[in-house]
Amino acid sequence: MPLLSRQGAPRALLIVALSAPWGLAQGEGQVEAAPAPSVSAASQVVAALHDKLLEVMRRGAALGYQGRHQELAPLISRCFDTPVIAKIVLGRHWQALNDAEKAEFTALFDRFSAATYASRFKGYDGETFVEVAQAPLNRGRLLVKTELRRPRDEAVSLDYLTHQTGGEWRIIGVIANGVNDLSLKRVEYASVIKEKGYNGLLDAISDKIRAMEAGG
Amino acid sequence: MNALVLKKPVLLAFLAAGVLTGCAGTQTVDGEYNPDPYEDANRSFYRFNDALDRNVMRPVAETYANVTPKPVRNSVTNFFDNLEYLNVILHSFLQGKLKQGFSDAIRFTVNSTMGIGGLFDVASGMGLKEHEEDFGQTLATWGLDQGPFLNLPFFGPNTARNTPDFASSYLANPLTYFSTIFLFPVTALNFVNTRANLLEATEFVEEASIDPYSFIREAYLQQRKYLIHDGNPPAEGYDDIFDSGLEDDSMLIIE
Repeated sequence: MPLLSRQGAPRALLIVALSAPWGLAQGEGQVEAAPAPSVSAASQVVAALHDKLLEVMRRGAALGYQGRHQELAPLISRCFDTPVIAKIVLGRHWQALNDAEKAEFTALFDRFSAATYASRFKGYDGETFVEVAQAPLNRGRLLVKTELRRPRDEAVSLDYLTHQTGGEWRIIGVIANGVNDLSLKRVEYASVIKEKGYNGLLDAISDKIRAMEAGG
Repeated sequence: MNALVLKKPVLLAFLAAGVLTGCAGTQTVDGEYNPDPYEDANRSFYRFNDALDRNVMRPVAETYANVTPKPVRNSVTNFFDNLEYLNVILHSFLQGKLKQGFSDAIRFTVNSTMGIGGLFDVASGMGLKEHEEDFGQTLATWGLDQGPFLNLPFFGPNTARNTPDFASSYLANPLTYFSTIFLFPVTALNFVNTRANLLEATEFVEEASIDPYSFIREAYLQQRKYLIHDGNPPAEGYDDIFDSGLEDDSMLIIE
């Protein structure tokens, strides 16, 4: 009997490797932005991230973890709206935090994001990123649909949720082959808080960062 | 990019666990959507499967991966995928995807003949794309609700709606009709090879997740929705999470 059927989704787990990362953005994010930048600017933000990723992947081994981290962290900070993301992934627990705690969590989440990118994007095997479409969402948000094309494997669909804040487009979520990292983290963090409390979540994230730093 | 080598979704059979509780509708907690009403039982089976995996399956799979050349592993994977493809053909047609169904039938024929019993994936090189269909997707297309999330002992993540696929994939697989003496070693090989293909996936889960159980559940449920929509889910709803307030920990529903 063929016990292992085709259903199931471990590929989703692999693909989430691409969709974990966010960087620190300064200031509180705003969903409604003032002067509307052009829609193509959203594409440019995503393209800038992709270009830097490819560059770091190509030099991945030579750079090492610290080198990749140094290269990626500043750009990630500019591309992602981390304060907004941090608020979303904590869900209702965000409201229970004071301003200092919110800032602390946002900073920790930024470190986690940069560490995740530096840890995952460490080799190059002919990959390319291609934008394939855009789709308007609620409240002026925009979905930038891209593909990670791989010479020896199927392409991975990478959709970027973007919004305007402070007159600029920022990424607020990544969906890899249908797996939304925002939702994934929101559910996971709620589970950890329920089990171990908020401080338990902070400890767990810190442990993950240390493990990635040590693992190179 | 090394973590992106797995080619096909297969059950995370040894990572998580659950209990088969029938096809009851999804329950609600305080009026909120709850995809996992049997979480306590599911988590206990997750722990069981995880222990089984750490102590038995993973070490065996690692040894197998170390001693088996990659081309051989690829052919083993192709062989089992091809045998399981009859189920894909069936469900392409049951979902009314006639053109895809005929393409899938040709794909199976090509790989079974030119591909020497499915050992080589000749069809992909001829532009016959591999599709991913099963009974769960068919039932979704027919309008059946997902039902509760289930973490099955030995088999891992599933939903009530997907469980009929065990019967479908069993009956549609030619191996089913061979004798047990032949079947046992072949099934064992399928298990070990499949687990070996998942080694990088499980390493990633360990590295990336803080609560592996909820991480796997959420990724699994989202990936199922993605497959039901053939990789093109409607964009509407992608960003609902930003407008839903912070008062709950609800999951983002893409469907």
